[in-house]
Amino acid sequence: MVNIQNVRKVYKIGEERVVALNDISLKIHPEEICCFLGTSGSGKSTLLNIMAGLEKPTKGTITIQGKKIEKMSEKEVTKFRQKNIGFVFQSYNLLPSLTALENVSLPLTFRGVPKNMRDRIAMEMLESVGLKKHIAHKPSQMSGGQQQRVGIARAFVSKPPIVFADEPTGNLDSKTTEEVMSLMLNMAREYKQTLILVTHDKSIAEFADRIVYILDGNIEKVEEKGLMKGAGIE
Amino acid sequence: MNNLDLIKMALGNLLRRKTRTLLTILGVVIGTSSIVVMLSLGIAMDYSFKEQLSRMGSLNLIDVNNYGFYGEGIAPGGGKDLKLDDHAVNSIRQIQGVQGVMPIKTAYVRIVAGKMMGNLPVIGIQPELMEVFDFKVETGRLLMASDKDAIVFGKQITMNFYNPRLRNPQFGPMGPEPPKIDLMNNKLILTTSMEYGERRMAGVERDPNQKPPKLYKVKGVGILQESQSEKDYNAYMHMDTLQKILEESQRTEQGEGQRRRGSQQNDQYERVSVKVEDINQVEAVQEQIKTMGFQPFSLTDMLKSMKETSRKMQAILGGIGAVSLFVAAIGITNTMVMSIYERTREIGVMKVLGADLTDIRKLFLLEAGMIGFGGGLLGLVLSYLISLGLNKIGGGFLGGMGGNTGISVIPFQLAMAALAFSTIVGLVSGFSPARRAMNLSALEAIRSE
Ligand SMILES: Nc1ncnc2c1ncn2[C@@H]1O[C@H](COP(=O)(O)OP(=O)(O)O)[C@@H](O)[C@H]1O
Ligand SMILES: [Mg+2]
Repeated sequence: MVNIQNVRKVYKIGEERVVALNDISLKIHPEEICCFLGTSGSGKSTLLNIMAGLEKPTKGTITIQGKKIEKMSEKEVTKFRQKNIGFVFQSYNLLPSLTALENVSLPLTFRGVPKNMRDRIAMEMLESVGLKKHIAHKPSQMSGGQQQRVGIARAFVSKPPIVFADEPTGNLDSKTTEEVMSLMLNMAREYKQTLILVTHDKSIAEFADRIVYILDGNIEKVEEKGLMKGAGIE
Repeated sequence: MNNLDLIKMALGNLLRRKTRTLLTILGVVIGTSSIVVMLSLGIAMDYSFKEQLSRMGSLNLIDVNNYGFYGEGIAPGGGKDLKLDDHAVNSIRQIQGVQGVMPIKTAYVRIVAGKMMGNLPVIGIQPELMEVFDFKVETGRLLMASDKDAIVFGKQITMNFYNPRLRNPQFGPMGPEPPKIDLMNNKLILTTSMEYGERRMAGVERDPNQKPPKLYKVKGVGILQESQSEKDYNAYMHMDTLQKILEESQRTEQGEGQRRRGSQQNDQYERVSVKVEDINQVEAVQEQIKTMGFQPFSLTDMLKSMKETSRKMQAILGGIGAVSLFVAAIGITNTMVMSIYERTREIGVMKVLGADLTDIRKLFLLEAGMIGFGGGLLGLVLSYLISLGLNKIGGGFLGGMGGNTGISVIPFQLAMAALAFSTIVGLVSGFSPARRAMNLSALEAIRSE
């Protein structure tokens, strides 16, 4: 599904060079729930952004579904994201002027899906995250947990093969965190999607099939969770 | 994204910042209406020139006079023996674009109708040309080729009549009211003698040698429609009859007749009127007549120089208006750039969620275009209101000069052009911000807190 080969990322800030990622290689399997765990500044977000084609690696390649992401032009990578990738952000990033329903249907809007169809799909998604009553609410009228559930509905609405989530619960309390995590996992399993998580919270990592420990831009160790692999993946 | 969604989203974004959007639109409104109103003044000027001129006569006409024909290169009096005669008329008729040529002779005659009497110019004309030259009757009919003694009168000609038996003859346009006279049914006597019918003054001996003036019985067959031109003040009759009258009058009362008709010779015409099919050909025809050595004159000539003036005027006025639209354009760009700063994060999110780059550009162009279009539309409404007001106020003191035209005219084409222009201004102003939004780094955008 996602093949990371010898990816290196170096930021230059004036004279100074910051090695965000040193040399990372990893294969992520289809329908896997994979979590990158590491302290702040270890390079997790950088890796995720490179995988999503938001940033180009200094060295190495990322192959998703046989396509080399770093070779694509911005136009191509945008189209590719539109078709294949969903995103859940730490700070939700809902559009403040749109209602919950409009926010959820946004990825479908970008694809040119007609309004009645995308409204129906978005409605279903909102229902499955338990926000049926909030479809007409603007983000400012919802709590953090509700906003993130809208964010999740939006990430999954177009049924992309891969969903990225960068610290999806970073702004939530522990109880909401649990709700949001299980919501995401259930969706990913239901639609047989690959979910790639980034967090610094060990307890969240426990939800994943595999935990990849990142330290200073390197993979420290990989921990397979046999228990969760029971679904017969790999 | 489909177009409807784009439009909705753009509208939504504009409505989100109502005050700012309105202020930006206001700039376009002012810009558009100042251009439109300024241009409308120039256009009105153009129109009123045209109206004034066409009131003076048809714009398709060229007059060639029997005097002053020394064109370029020909010394006055010397060189060519140039005559405004049948030969000249024929050559003018050959010129391409000429629809008809009307040779004209004028006699000043006295006509007596019952108790009334009037002195007036009678123009000899070939009856078949009357239609070509736009003669239209109000009552009766035009001249026919067989009409030897028929006369058609101009509308204002009754003003020339008065009753000589009254102490204070009320005649002329200064009279308190137009004299009542029926030129169609009365028997008319025409003579070239200006003394006919006057009461003789005591003590003035009649010259026994002088033959009595020759009298002609004529009949009025038609009164022309009022045309606000020289046609209103002339009477018309068959060229052959007039020719005969002129010749006979020359024979009977040599001295007087000679004086009255000036230097006119029998085989020459006093004036030739040329009708051109198309206004646009007038200049070319005129040029040709000039090369024949004559000095042609047309209202189109005048119109040209008037148009030149009003074009300059329009350029200046339009320029003033353009400055304010330019300021408005800067306003649009500024608004769009500010909007990008505010929406940086949003644009980033949209990109990450898979919005096409072109869609993002379109969205911003659309917003700028809508400001331009909306401003243009409101600007037009304002322009029409201002124009209305100007015509109400300005119509009063310029009324005499401006005629029906008013001082501000906004033709439909100007309105459409203004709308298109303001939209284009919006699009152009939005172009660079839209590019900027499109090229924004998604990552930077979502990272910015
Ligand atoms: N745009 C950037 N410019 C310079 N340095 C950066 C940039 N993005 C990240 N870094 C650096 O790269 C390292 C990894 O950052 P990041 O991937 O955000 O870590 P994490 O998400 O694990 O907290 C950090 O030292 C950070 O300062
Ligand atoms: Mg991070």
